[in-house]
Amino acid sequence: MALQAYPDVPLFRYAYTPLTEAQILEKLAGPARVGPSSKAGLESDLAGTSLRIVTDGAGTLTWQFGSGNRVTFDGADAGYGALTVDHVTLIGHLVPGKAKGYAIAWDRHSNLATVFELWWGGEGPAPRPREINRAVWHGYVVADGPAPENRHKPTLRLEGRAFAWTEDTGKRTIEYYPSVTYSHWVELDRLKDYRGYSAPSDYIQLTEDIYAFARVEAEFSGLLHLYVMDVNRLQQAGLRLGFNGADELEYYMFRGKGEWLGQIARFEKFGDFSAEPLKIENAKKGERRIYRPLETMDKMTPAEVDAVVAEKTEVFSRASPMAGNGLPPTGNLAAKSFTVEYDRGPKMEYRFVSGDELQWRKDGAGEFRQARYNAWETVPNVFIFGHLLEGTRDHDGHIVVVDLDSGMASAFRGYLNTPYFANEAGAETLFGKVVGQGIPNPGRRRHQRTRDLLGRAFTWEYSPGLNSMHLYSTPYTTSWVIPTPDGHMGTEWCGSGDFIKIRDQLYFARWQEEACNGTLGTILINMRTMHDAGIGYHCGKQGGLSMSAVAGIARHAGKIDVERFFPVRTGA
Amino acid sequence: MDKNTTSRRSFLKAGAIAATPLVAAAPVAALADDGSRARLARLEDERAIEALHRAFLRNADGARDRFALGEGLRSIAGEPATDTTITFAEDGRTATARQECRVERQTEFTGHSTLEQMARFQGQGSHVQEERRVLATQLVRDKQGWRIAQARLA
Repeated sequence: MALQAYPDVPLFRYAYTPLTEAQILEKLAGPARVGPSSKAGLESDLAGTSLRIVTDGAGTLTWQFGSGNRVTFDGADAGYGALTVDHVTLIGHLVPGKAKGYAIAWDRHSNLATVFELWWGGEGPAPRPREINRAVWHGYVVADGPAPENRHKPTLRLEGRAFAWTEDTGKRTIEYYPSVTYSHWVELDRLKDYRGYSAPSDYIQLTEDIYAFARVEAEFSGLLHLYVMDVNRLQQAGLRLGFNGADELEYYMFRGKGEWLGQIARFEKFGDFSAEPLKIENAKKGERRIYRPLETMDKMTPAEVDAVVAEKTEVFSRASPMAGNGLPPTGNLAAKSFTVEYDRGPKMEYRFVSGDELQWRKDGAGEFRQARYNAWETVPNVFIFGHLLEGTRDHDGHIVVVDLDSGMASAFRGYLNTPYFANEAGAETLFGKVVGQGIPNPGRRRHQRTRDLLGRAFTWEYSPGLNSMHLYSTPYTTSWVIPTPDGHMGTEWCGSGDFIKIRDQLYFARWQEEACNGTLGTILINMRTMHDAGIGYHCGKQGGLSMSAVAGIARHAGKIDVERFFPVRTGA
Repeated sequence: MDKNTTSRRSFLKAGAIAATPLVAAAPVAALADDGSRARLARLEDERAIEALHRAFLRNADGARDRFALGEGLRSIAGEPATDTTITFAEDGRTATARQECRVERQTEFTGHSTLEQMARFQGQGSHVQEERRVLATQLVRDKQGWRIAQARLA
């Protein structure tokens, strides 16, 4: 595959070059001497200034600024850039001869400063040299008078908010801050597919209305996107530093304008403003909890999948912790028979033998086959049920929602043997109708994809202590955030999503855990009862192929106003 | 079976009201025939059952281990401000007891779901939950005295 600065495949599918430290050093050499570029006019008023910053943890660091955007740091002469938002100046530079740089947020009123130490490779915690490491040091600029006792500090004040930022480069990004330690961003211009991605992030409060934010695109390019933002004036000044998908160094500073998009709820106790919920005791420099799903994911070949499926297949065979708060399955389909005719898809004949056994036949071919199923009736006469199609080449599983009042049906077809990892679930969305005695014919009416869920977040309490929050960040993305026991939102990840309206306030949604455990999760969300019923479809080395219940009790965390950013696609 | 229901507090209260005039007016020997012996025996039974419950809560000598009390049970503690309600059968050979308690359960997140993996990654490998429940026991008296025949957390 040719290198692409911004890939036309999902970032989790792109094979980023494993740059070596030597390659990185070579790429940094010239830009370190010159300094960052910028479409905004970089500021020059620091010329002649010596900035001595006393940090808690990294000692005293001194920068001597000269004219022509030159700075001397640690005996090396480099180019630097500076941009100020109100009275907070962001300074960025690289250190010549080293795979290292700094970003400094300096509050000129209080003289408090936060220093982001940035480096590639070395002893840093990042597993790949191209992924930038950062360590955050708080301190103050030495000046006349007593040293200040206050410090900038990590904050949860931004948690739940979202902004649309437009850089002076023209690049637009939706930034969701649904967590205290992660963020979720949607590139509206750099990428073409309107997906969201999640990354570890720092949130530092500088003043009542000015914050420093930094995310590292860990697991992907390893780029740093850092900015100081004034949430009152909706302005930002930032530094973008790192290697894009084409291994080009991006090293520039920018100004941007923001748009407040809303805030979803926070779930900490009132009065709890602590903001380091996942802190690692005795952490090495720059170490933090970064969820790396690909490392822990089973990666199986088609032959291994076939073998494990033959050996172990479990369909609703045991209680699932993902459904500890779920409703019991219903037996109300027992003795019913109907056919689901999907448009441009299979015709599935069903005979429901009992509350958990059915017979199915696909496209009228051959004999009926027996399968175990579970069903839930979360709204009278609307059922979600799931079963495996034993004997199909890709070990298909159908998760179906039938509305026996309207005669409409939708399904997520889960399947294995996807091109990337054979055990990773793929998904296809099917629309159709139910044909059976006493079931109305919907004619051409079908369930439709919906944007009713777009921008919404729901918390899901699956079992005691097992909770998550979904954020439906784009029309094609489901993100999930894991809260800590005290209600801070922590690590986050995301995958492809699809969203279907079944009835008012009743939605059939899915997510795919691509390059991340491989599960297909499907849920029927009832916003009237704030409860869901759903089914997970998964294949792994230990558990084999499984279908199991997924259900929790919901809280509506709110809705971010993002619909206008996503053009409607034909057929989507 | 439920014929005589008492809690310790209600029994002592009723007993004290009834007994106090007798204790004040009659010699000790005269107590033999006025029901005091039965009340004393009942008190001893109650104390024995309460002691069994205390041992059960502490899981002394594995007292709880014979019973299915649910997954992940860590501890059971009696609610200090409440009494154990004991109901004796007419023949005095069996009884039921109910005691309000706080139950702590621990759930280990050992599964392979993404959520469990992420929870473990965040340092949340398990979850401890406290529930208010009622320890309901059925007791029998044999030659060795009272013992718990059945127990459940209602």
